[in-house]
Amino acid sequence: MISARGVRKSFGAATVLDGIDLDVHGGEVVSILGSSGSGKSTLIRCMNGLEKLDGGRITIDDFDVSRQKELTEARKRSATVFQLFNLYPHMTAVQNVALAPVEVLKTPRKQAEAEARALLDSVGLSARADAFPSQLSGGQRQRVGICRALAMKPRYLLLDEITSALDPEMTADVLGILAKLAREGTTMVFVTHEIEFARTISSRIVFLDKGQLVVDLPTAEFFAADGGLAMPRIAQFLSKMRKD
Amino acid sequence: MRYTAFTSYDIVLLAQGLGVSLALFLATTIIGLFIGSVWAVIRFYRVPVLTQLVTALAELLKNSPVLVQLFLVFFGLPAFAKFNVTPVEAAVITLSGNTAAFVFVIAVSAIESIGRDQIEAARVFGLSRWQILRRIIAPQAMAFAIGPLTGLLVNQLQVTSLISVIGVVDLTKMGNILNLRTLKPFIVWAIVGALYYVMAKLIAFAGAVLEKRLRAHTAWKGL
Ligand SMILES: Nc1ncnc2c1ncn2[C@@H]1O[C@H](COP(=O)(O)OP(=O)(O)OP(=O)(O)O)[C@@H](O)[C@H]1O
Ligand SMILES: [Mg+2]
Repeated sequence: MISARGVRKSFGAATVLDGIDLDVHGGEVVSILGSSGSGKSTLIRCMNGLEKLDGGRITIDDFDVSRQKELTEARKRSATVFQLFNLYPHMTAVQNVALAPVEVLKTPRKQAEAEARALLDSVGLSARADAFPSQLSGGQRQRVGICRALAMKPRYLLLDEITSALDPEMTADVLGILAKLAREGTTMVFVTHEIEFARTISSRIVFLDKGQLVVDLPTAEFFAADGGLAMPRIAQFLSKMRKD
Repeated sequence: MRYTAFTSYDIVLLAQGLGVSLALFLATTIIGLFIGSVWAVIRFYRVPVLTQLVTALAELLKNSPVLVQLFLVFFGLPAFAKFNVTPVEAAVITLSGNTAAFVFVIAVSAIESIGRDQIEAARVFGLSRWQILRRIIAPQAMAFAIGPLTGLLVNQLQVTSLISVIGVVDLTKMGNILNLRTLKPFIVWAIVGALYYVMAKLIAFAGAVLEKRLRAHTAWKGL
């Protein structure tokens, strides 16, 4: 379980996360919605230990990410896919995917690379396994990014707007892979602007506004006229997103 | 002193001088590369006190004349610390330190040129700082630094000629000796200059080959 309690984070005078409480249980897909600047990325970066909390606590399977020793364990259980891929440019797709298993999980290199190839194969990249990131399209790069995360056999996937740098066709590719992972029961925290897609794969929807968690509802209730939509702030956000 | 015409033995003398210059250059390059890289790693880890120390030392070394540093080591060290140094030792200490300072500067900027986002990715996947340095930063920083390093080493080769003033019989000193004996400065210095030129070109060539290999190996279009 990923558990956030009273999480606070400020950058200088600006409070970006203002007391967030959130639980993500095994097997759930929790989508985080909210307008630009509401703190979604910051919340993900607090979960994977890239930002220090100013208050509150985040645990991943009871490992506190604020404690250096426990962070290592927490990071072994969760894996992040990044908006801008963040691949290692000097390594091929296979090497990108196999690096952390070899270095962190101490998997023998041969085995790690074989597993990397199998993963790349599963997302339709077997022919591009030995290409460098600069030789891949955006959608292909993001598929490598997903494989890199899956190679760690994480219990939790943290996904921050992983399709926002892709064109619609590539977006469909990548979302297709996520839908498959969701069906297989992968636990995901999914930050997105793809409202309709979130609706189809999520167990719950969380709405952030100005650093506060405004609602946390099962998906059907969130989109129900007497549920989330009854809240003006959410209705306004959804209608704006659908117009874009 | 009696002056005489060139003899075939002068070729041996010049080769000796050349050998001394080359040996000094190679030794100080290896030591300088090692020390400069260690300093850069110290800075990468932000080791308290040591980081400030090496940064200040590099600043001092690269902003003062090598000749002054050489005098400081050769004449100053014995006077200050009662620690005698031979001319060759003084030359090795000074040139290694000078090379290290510039290697440090190049290495630091090469490390800083690596995009933060890939380093964040590596951290999130649980790689240690050392693993990140070794697997992510070093290979890319190397490809980035090889050009400036080649330029530096071509320059450091010329700088070795300064050590002739404290009596190391390098190529320049040998030129000086031949010049006094033959009184044919134009010929002597033209030959000595040409020898430095050929060595510099060889260094530049080796650097270019290495750069090509480093980049071709990754088929990576760079920064
Ligand atoms: N490193 C930082 N330094 C200063 N301010 C920051 C930093 N990172 C984020 N912020 C600020 O924190 C706020 C929340 O940013 P965050 O990236 O979490 O928003 P977001 O919900 O992910 O937005 P978007 O939908 O545009 O990605 C913004 O106002 C942003 O400017
Ligand atoms: Mg964001």
